Amino acid sequence: MSDYIALANQDLPAQPMSGALDGPPLAAPGWPGRALESVAVWVVLLLAWSVASVYLPLGDNPLLPSPLITARALWESLPELWAGTLSSLTILLPGFALATLLGIVAGLAVGTSLRLQRMFLPFAKVAGPVPPTVYIPYAIAILPTFRLSAIFVVFIGAFWPIFQNAVAGAHALEQRYRDNARILGLRGFEYQRRVVFPAALPHIFTGMAVGLAFSFILLTVAELFGANAGLGRFVQYYADFADYPRMVAGILYTGLVTFLAMTLLDRVRRRSLFWLR
Amino acid sequence: MGLGLKLEGVSFAYDATPVLQDIHVHIPEGQFVSLLGASGSGKTTLLRLAAGLNEVSGGRLSWNGVPVCGPSLERGVVFQDYALFPWLSVVDNVEIAIAKAKPGIRKAERLSEARGYLRQLGLAAAIGKYPGELSGGMRQRAAIARALALGSPLLLMDEPFGALDPVNRARLQDLLLAAWELATPRKTIVFVTHDVDEAIYLGDRLIVLGSSPGRLIADLPVPLARPRERCNLLDSHSLHALREQVAATLVQDTLQRLRAA
Repeated sequence: MSDYIALANQDLPAQPMSGALDGPPLAAPGWPGRALESVAVWVVLLLAWSVASVYLPLGDNPLLPSPLITARALWESLPELWAGTLSSLTILLPGFALATLLGIVAGLAVGTSLRLQRMFLPFAKVAGPVPPTVYIPYAIAILPTFRLSAIFVVFIGAFWPIFQNAVAGAHALEQRYRDNARILGLRGFEYQRRVVFPAALPHIFTGMAVGLAFSFILLTVAELFGANAGLGRFVQYYADFADYPRMVAGILYTGLVTFLAMTLLDRVRRRSLFWLR
Repeated sequence: MGLGLKLEGVSFAYDATPVLQDIHVHIPEGQFVSLLGASGSGKTTLLRLAAGLNEVSGGRLSWNGVPVCGPSLERGVVFQDYALFPWLSVVDNVEIAIAKAKPGIRKAERLSEARGYLRQLGLAAAIGKYPGELSGGMRQRAAIARALALGSPLLLMDEPFGALDPVNRARLQDLLLAAWELATPRKTIVFVTHDVDEAIYLGDRLIVLGSSPGRLIADLPVPLARPRERCNLLDSHSLHALREQVAATLVQDTLQRLRAA
């Protein structure tokens, strides 16, 4: 008997979950091949752009400036674009942060309460699908400043995807975790904080990614309407003056900023959801 | 009024389908009871009723004279599927139980106590790891550590070793028996299993449920002295006789069901 207990008390080495040590499939290419795959589409697009800008008959003010001219315009506009980025972020960050906070709190509360579901889900089903762009003229009309209007529109655009995904995440909480929480006497805010919120995080991050993409769309659209600065304003301003190299540079720069923001969010998601790996 | 877990005419139906019917059982404090039965006999349901996770449809279920109506720290549960919270480290999974059992003590003390439980179950090397980094056997040991940390006098275990390989299963059976035998006062344990040998090796008593609906078909004492030694039990006449009796009871119940069908 003592041998068995001694055996049982031995510390076993931690074993990784099945598949954790699996390498890439045998047929997968090495890193040079993967790198080539990643840039292939970019190279093809760049070549197509170069050829089109040289051979299309567009007159003295080409609608399609060559990559070189665009790159020069981008370089010369960097200070202005940086200032525009900061201006846009002062709209995007408060709107997105508020939408994240309220979307998570409201979503988890509604997702774990049948009563709140009965109260709020019918409203959410009507209000959620309304395209947030339709609020822009009205928000500009009723709110005292353009900045507040834009923050409001970004908030609306990001709130619904985050809210709906938080509700879905709370709904998807596995019965075994609910049972465990009940056995451990976890209730109320403690239950939400230690069980529902972490379990719903995968859904919440999905909602945040959708919400962030919406935020950028709405931000730039709102800036087209009445901003004095910002990324959307930059593109609109140079389009008005038919300065297409700067306009295209502004579009590319906005794409880069959006890509960086989405990548940052993805990094945060990966770090937060380490336990899923 | 007898202390311990008492089921008096307990019935349970799910959507008008009877799952358990008229169960009368008294499990005194400190007893280790193995609950056996075929799949669908309502073993897990009975355990969930005792845990307060479901409510009885009829009859009375009480723990130490108090009717069971909802979960309580008096009744700890170890589930089959290692239901640790995967977003908490192993030590935090145990600490969360201590925080509920002893709300007055500081976090540093709780963590220290949690490490003690994990060391007791041979998990010193896994203290800072997350459940996803552990093997099934280690996760189940962590789940047992958490149940022990909760300090519940009644421990309900739902096929806790059902998914483990035979070696790990034997290790954990011995570990559980050692922890139970050393504790004063001893916990009352209701241990659900499919495995007749496991039920006999661990239990003071076997409760056997028949199927469709689940009902009590046998309540047998285990005539084996403690502490038990696995090697000696292999040749035990009592063990073989009891195993035959349980197997015959289950087969007879199955045949009766088939005839009725």
